[in-house]
This record gives sequence, C-alpha cells and structure tokens, in this order.
Amino acid sequence: MRRLATALLSLAAFLLAWKVLTFVTGTPDYILPAPEVVGERAVRAIGSGLLWEHTAVTLSEILLGLAVGAASAIAVGTALGKSLVIERVLSPYIVAAQSVPVLALAPLLDIWFGGGLLARVLICALIVFFPIAIATMVGIRSADLLLVELFRSLGATRAQRTTRLEIPSALPVIFGGLRVGVTLAVIGAVVAEWAGASSGLGVLINIANQGLFDTPLMFVALATLAVIGIGLHGLVVSVERRLTVHP
Amino acid sequence: MSPRLLLLPLIAALLVGCTAAPSPTPSVSLRQVTLLLGFRPDVQFAPFYLAQQAGYFADAGLDVTIEFKDGADLMRLVADGRAEFGVADATDVMISRTAGIPVKYISTLYDHFPVALIGPSGKVPAYPGELAGVRIGTPGEFGSSWHALRALLDAGGLAVGDVTIREYPQFNQVGGLLNGDVDLITGFRNNEPLRLEAQGMSVDLLTVDEIAPLPGPGLIVADGLLASDAAMATEFARAIVRALKAIAANPETGLDAAVAAVPAIGEDRATALAVLDATVELWSQDGAIDQAVWTSGYATLLRLSFIDGSVPVDEMTSPAIAGTP
Repeated sequence: MRRLATALLSLAAFLLAWKVLTFVTGTPDYILPAPEVVGERAVRAIGSGLLWEHTAVTLSEILLGLAVGAASAIAVGTALGKSLVIERVLSPYIVAAQSVPVLALAPLLDIWFGGGLLARVLICALIVFFPIAIATMVGIRSADLLLVELFRSLGATRAQRTTRLEIPSALPVIFGGLRVGVTLAVIGAVVAEWAGASSGLGVLINIANQGLFDTPLMFVALATLAVIGIGLHGLVVSVERRLTVHP
Repeated sequence: MSPRLLLLPLIAALLVGCTAAPSPTPSVSLRQVTLLLGFRPDVQFAPFYLAQQAGYFADAGLDVTIEFKDGADLMRLVADGRAEFGVADATDVMISRTAGIPVKYISTLYDHFPVALIGPSGKVPAYPGELAGVRIGTPGEFGSSWHALRALLDAGGLAVGDVTIREYPQFNQVGGLLNGDVDLITGFRNNEPLRLEAQGMSVDLLTVDEIAPLPGPGLIVADGLLASDAAMATEFARAIVRALKAIAANPETGLDAAVAAVPAIGEDRATALAVLDATVELWSQDGAIDQAVWTSGYATLLRLSFIDGSVPVDEMTSPAIAGTP
C-alpha cells in the first residue's frame, strides 16, 4: 500500500512538473503538449480502438522477442560461462553483433527474413540477447567453488552441476540481465517496426509524428511504451523475488 | 622567473596579433537566417547551394545557414520560429496546418508532383483502377509517397485494402523491388528510376499529375514571420527562383555548387548530373502557386480524411510572396 502511494505521489509530481514547464515556457502543443492534452488524446485513442490495435502488435513482438532472445542468451551464456574455449570462439562475434548499430542493420534483416513478424522478433531478440548472455556467463562463473568441489566429490554429472548448482546460484545475476533485457525488448520492438511494419506503437509514432503531425498522439504512444516497459520490468522483479533468496 | 612565465608575454603578443588581424567584413550587413531542408544532402538541393555560393542570398540581404531535419521536425521548428525557412511537401503543409501548426507555403519548387509508382517495364498499370491485388512498397503511412499512393488508389476507385502494402520506413523500398518482395514501389521520379536502371532494371512509371493532381514541395515560413517581415520572405523566394532558373539554363552550374557543398556528390558525377537533369524537369521556373492544383489536392486529401476541412485552402498558402518577379 505504501509502495503504491509512493508511486502515485511520484507520478503526480512528474505530471505537475510537466504542466508547470509547458505553462511557464508557453510551449505550443505541437512542440510539447501539456499533460491534460495528452490525456484527452489518450482517451480518444483508446475509445476508437486505435491504441489497442497498435499496442497488441508491439506487445506480441516484445514478448516473443524477449522469449527468443532470453532463452538463447541463457543457453549461450551458460555455455560461455562453462567453457573458456567457447568463450574465446564466440565472444568476438557476440561483441561485434552488439557493437553494430541495430538501427542500421534492421532494414536489411527485414528484407532477409521476409519482413513479417519473424523479422521483427529476430531484431528484438538481437537487442535483448547481449546483456542477458553476459549476465548469465558472469553468473555461472560466480558459483561457489567449494560447492562445485562438493558436487564433484559426490559424483554429480556436469548436467547436474549446471542445473542444480550453477544456474540456481547464477539466478540473481541472470535476473539483473533480464531487467535490462526487458526494457531493451521494448526498444527492440520499436526499432524493428521502424525497419518495416504496418502496425505497432513504433508505426503509430511515425504516423502521428510524420503523417498526422499529431504530437499529443505521439506522446500517447510513447507513454504506452513506457507503461509496457514498467509493467514488464515489475513482472521480472516479481518473478525474481519468488525464485531467488534474499538476505 | 619560471620559463613558463617568460613565455606568457610571447603568447599574449601572438593572441593580440591574431585578434588584431583585419577580418573581411561585408560591405552590407547581412541578416542571419536558417533554412531547413528535409531528408539528406543531395544534388536535388542544388538551388540552395548555388544561391548560397553565387551570392543570390547575399544580394537579398541574407546570410543563410542550411541545416537538414526530419520533415516533421522541420515543420515544427519553422512554425516555432527556430528557423526562418523550410522546404516541405505541400500535402504535409495542408495536414500540419489543419493540425494547428502555423506554417504557410509561399513559393513552389516542384511544379510536378515528384512521387510516382515505379515498377519493372511492362508491369506498371496504365490506369490506377488496375492496381487491385498488386504488392506495393512504400515508406509508411506518412509523407508525399503515401499521399500520392492514396490519391492514385482513390482515383482508381480502390481502397488501401485492395492492394498489399509493404512498408519500408527506412526508405529502402528499392531493395524490396529488386528483391521481388513487391511489384511496385513509390519513389521520386527523378531519383529511384535512375537508381533502379543503374541496377539493371528497366522501369515504367505511373505518375499522379494527370490522374489526381497534387501540389509539389515548396518553401514554407511561419505565420509570424510572414506577418512581421513579408519583404524578407519575398527576397528569399526570389533568390531561390533565380537559382532555379540558372540551373535550368546550365545544370552543370548546379552540380558544381552541389559538389562544392557536399563533395561526396561528385563521386559519381554522371549519375548526379542525370538526377539533376531529371529534377530540373519537375521544377517551377517562377515559384508561382497553382491555385487549381492546390484546390484539387485539398479536395483529394479531404476526401481521404487526411484533413477535416476546418482550415480553408486559401489560408495554407501566401500567393503574394510566390512568383514575384
């Protein structure tokens, strides 16, 4: 209850500061709309079904991209953490892929993979992959060496060591990567839509900004993305609390 | 005394020498203004480079800084007075003006709407009614490409659902056409056909001019500037018309100016000249605003619900500025 009250107070302070800024500077709505203008536009966009139509598409891209990106990142991160040879072979490619601006690569990925949902999910997964893979690798290597020795002395197989010791002990670090990854998934979905899509919040931003010159609608789409990011981040934190032990 | 302290008088003398050197001062004080161009540096912007380099702007009493901005930002920045002039699509002016952004179109740059539907030779329908079922690549539901496509479909009695639209927000629809992902693309008739032909694809075009006339890109200013200094806007428009005429008479002049401003344009001089030649054919030679085309375009955008008619067409332009001799 107290946490909710704090969050609501923080939101109220943010909206007030925003309102004061627009009022004091006299900035026109087409540059920075006041919060009540955005709110009124949001009500219309929800009422017409426009917002949900685009949100549903982006949400599905985010969830699929996150699932594909996180699953492959945890698998690759585990392999990297357990084998120095694999790390030496794969690391340059992983770092190179992370260093290339996905915004530049996305249009090509869109063409290579046929421009549908698959292409957008892959672009999203690519953005999500790096922080989770690196967090997993670090987490796997942070397993208590004494416990590793104990597992060995008790005759545990490599698979048993991985599933019963290394992954559970890596969970707090993996969840750290997931916290970053989940917010990047939101950005990834928008980047993917900007590379080629007919619907989604990224498309709505383009339509509102460049097509309709409707700045309040653009802010509605941005706020929706922020809400999705906050919601998914909260979900990850909630799962983390259930699965990991806190001192 | 430390050696560093000994050096101080020498450094001071050098600084004084530098600042005291006579600097060239213009005989006439020029007014600093900013011109915003959309998209990216390109040979198509040769009139602005020429006007800057040949002194046409200076003759108009202006010292013009050219900057490049995204089209939507450009409109807002001009409206807010953060830049004096911009180049924008007329159709975008109609929509943004209706959305409450106080800009006006003051002079025509393109007499012909530059966007067309482009496809392989023999595969482009002669009439828009034959577009049903065709796969079309376009940047998205914004800008002149989208307006041209919607106008053509409308003229053919078709709706968006009657064709398959594939969006290329990064303007890479040429890749989609070459890849066979789409049958036709929207593109600038002075640019994309040349790029496709350079890739070995012979192309045909379906243009909007005769089918659903829309006004082309032109110069825009804010209402505020128009009210406070219409004379400056007139001088600026005249300088551009002067450059358009000079380049139409000798395209090499424009190409030289573009290469001087953006040396990369000179990397493929033959293609750049071909693009410029094709662009010259689309340009206005006097900047005049064709009210008939504006009225027709306005009616089309109204019918397609891009605008709601709350702002009359005659409030979107300032013909008094355009076409001044």
